[in-house]
Amino acid sequence: MIVVKNLTKIYKAYRKSGNLIKDIFFRKYEDILALDKISFEISKNELVGFIGPNGAGKTTTLKILSGILYPTSGKVSVLGFSPFEKKEAFLKQTSFVMGQRNQLIWDLPAIDTFLLNKEIYELDEEKFKKNLQKLTAIFSAEKLIQKPVKMLSLGERMKMEFIAALLHQPKIVFLDESTIGLDIFSQEAIRNFIKDYQKEFKATIILTSHYLEDVKRLAKRLIIINKGKILYDGSLTTILQKFSSVKYVSLILEKEIKKEVLFKIGKPIAYQFPKVVFRIQKKDLPQVVAYINDQIPYLDLAIEDEKIEEVIKNIFENHKD
Amino acid sequence: MGKYFSVFTLTLKEYFAYRLNFLIWRLRVFIGFLVPFFLWLTVIKEVKNFTGYEKQSIVSYFFFSHLLAYFILGTRTVDIAGQIQNGEIINLLLKPMSFFYYYFFRDLADKILNLLLSFFEVFLFFKIFSISFPSANLQFLPFFFLFLTLGLFLSFYLNLLISFLGFWSAEVWAPRFIFFILISILAGSFFPLDLLPKKLFSLIIITPFPYLFFLPVKMISSPQTLMDKIDIYFLLFMGSFWLVILFFLVQFFWQKGLKSFSFWGR
Amino acid sequence: MFKKIKRNLKIFLLFGYQSLKTTGQSRQAIFIFTLGKILRFIFLFGIIFLVFSKTKIIAGWSLKQVVILYLTFNFIDTFSQLLYREVYRFRPQVISGNLDLILVKPYHPFLRVLVGGVDFLDLLLLVPYFFLLLFFIFQEKISFFSFFLYLTLVINGLIISTAFHIFVLALGLLTTEVDNAIMIYRDILNLGRFPIEIYQQIISFIFTFIIPIGVMITFPVKALFNFLSFNNVVFAFFISFLLLLLSIKFWQIGLKKYQSAGG
Repeated sequence: MIVVKNLTKIYKAYRKSGNLIKDIFFRKYEDILALDKISFEISKNELVGFIGPNGAGKTTTLKILSGILYPTSGKVSVLGFSPFEKKEAFLKQTSFVMGQRNQLIWDLPAIDTFLLNKEIYELDEEKFKKNLQKLTAIFSAEKLIQKPVKMLSLGERMKMEFIAALLHQPKIVFLDESTIGLDIFSQEAIRNFIKDYQKEFKATIILTSHYLEDVKRLAKRLIIINKGKILYDGSLTTILQKFSSVKYVSLILEKEIKKEVLFKIGKPIAYQFPKVVFRIQKKDLPQVVAYINDQIPYLDLAIEDEKIEEVIKNIFENHKD
Repeated sequence: MGKYFSVFTLTLKEYFAYRLNFLIWRLRVFIGFLVPFFLWLTVIKEVKNFTGYEKQSIVSYFFFSHLLAYFILGTRTVDIAGQIQNGEIINLLLKPMSFFYYYFFRDLADKILNLLLSFFEVFLFFKIFSISFPSANLQFLPFFFLFLTLGLFLSFYLNLLISFLGFWSAEVWAPRFIFFILISILAGSFFPLDLLPKKLFSLIIITPFPYLFFLPVKMISSPQTLMDKIDIYFLLFMGSFWLVILFFLVQFFWQKGLKSFSFWGR
Repeated sequence: MFKKIKRNLKIFLLFGYQSLKTTGQSRQAIFIFTLGKILRFIFLFGIIFLVFSKTKIIAGWSLKQVVILYLTFNFIDTFSQLLYREVYRFRPQVISGNLDLILVKPYHPFLRVLVGGVDFLDLLLLVPYFFLLLFFIFQEKISFFSFFLYLTLVINGLIISTAFHIFVLALGLLTTEVDNAIMIYRDILNLGRFPIEIYQQIISFIFTFIIPIGVMITFPVKALFNFLSFNNVVFAFFISFLLLLLSIKFWQIGLKKYQSAGG
């Protein structure tokens, strides 16, 4: 469905030297390499999450895939189309939701924008009504659609944005930081919404987010991007296998233990009786567990993966050089 | 005083930050000069003498009119309404700096820059089209300075008053638009006010508008034709009268506005 | 083909309807703006009579002719402002990034960014302007052919205006530096309020043959009174066609160079 090969995007920005005269007459332009020959493929019904720090290239990628930006070089094919050409048949099957940006008409109720989209995407009356009802029901937003958009809170507005974006049942949905700035309830509501939408309509969804929670809950596949390069492209579970060599062992002790016995495992990262947490290399896990079972009386033992956030942070730190 | 000087230089820097925008702005100002200038020049060609104006005096009037128009009428106070709307004004109010002085120095930077550039542009223009350079009439110079100061302050206060509407309404651009139109009609930027029939002229002279702009320009270009018709001390009196009224109106609405506005929008 | 036109028309009307709804929310502003525009119209109309109070001709034009020119200017100016009002709102949409959400919709962006904000306040004024114009024209002895040529050239002028507006849009794609590109178009257009001949030769030449304000406004009126040479008529149609093509090309280039906001 989506094929990207050696995609490169270069921006032009001018550098301010701070000197007033120089900035007026002798401007220097510099090339910013936003995407550096990236390649990937996405098939139908996938939900892919792009993560990366600010300026990594996530939004640029999405904007190229949706047709907004013109690729500097490389091959991009979405649903068999070249996105930048913005052919009508292509645009009718895609949709873009950007956090804190609106396609909704500010001064009027959301329903007016929905009616507009109905005309734009050429939906017949029945389909429009059905989709609208379904989408509004998921958010329980029947009353909200009649309120002028400028009077809605940010969370309510994003819900309306989502409805407007999905009325035409797009096959591909681009979500760029769509939960940014929302309270946890709204974030949760939108995550569930996206999940339900995909299940029902078998759409391909590509999202970017700063919130790992979004990605953890929704995406099965993760593409980690930094400084225009793809650092990792695979499933969420494999990323732990590949990049994490650490497990966390936490114990609830039955009674006070002599320090030497306890510390033979290693220096705990947290120790507040009765709870103690160790950070163990994976390869050492069997020995450690055996030792604990043998020497340490405990009420509870738990073994946890390294947090995804930590893993990803480490990936970025290592890529810095 | 130093802080106001930095306000001054900062305002200048802002202009140069966007050089293309700056050039287009200058182009716009210059084009605005062309219409009345050429219109009346063409008229004078046919009529030689239009109610006391000849080629010399018309060129002189519009030359000084162009130089002084923005100097007197130009203002950054248009920003105020917006700042009230988005709450930015709070930042200004909390700083240890007089709100009025702040805007006055911002305006001053704006005006001086404009004056210098306008002078340069018109000078080039006259040179290219071989139009003889008008000379300033120095006879009534002290009166010129008096009326110029009067005009500057009247303009400043009027602009402030319009901006203060922002305390009560979200739509200041509509009244500002009407104000702008009234000014361009009644202040004398499209034609010298004393071309009007006597009755109309004596009506206008009682409003504050001629004192903004028409009178200073007249004083430096061709004061004689006006002096023959009207007593100059009467004009000074009317101008000062309006100055005092506007001064108190500004103080009044400023206090009222501060009390009643509720930082809405932010 | 016909279906497409129907659809685009529907979208256009919907945008207009929503624009009307939005404007209708600030009635006070409507009243004040309309009042201001009427004042300005009357005033500048009055200037013409003031100018002609002492002379019968300026630059070869009589009072009646200058009046018709002024009214023609008003008609073209008001009509294009009314239709292309959305162009004045383009820059904020580019800066906020909302433009992206327009570009990904399956209709030509011009339907939104060029004609998506029809200003019905101006429509109120356009009708009386139009009738006033016709009133003054039919006071003169005009042949049917001249009148027809006049109408064609007015439409031609509107095409030039369209090209200018598209240029402004394209400029907005290429740089966010310029916030008043549309205003400079307005200022230049203002030069056309009076016959283009009043300006010194070089300026008159520039604004007729290079930035064709003269073609937009002075030419139709000249044709009405049979002053327009055949060559100039040909030139008029040629330049509007050329400018329209150039402006669309410029827009397409703008799209390619567009860097979008934020992200």
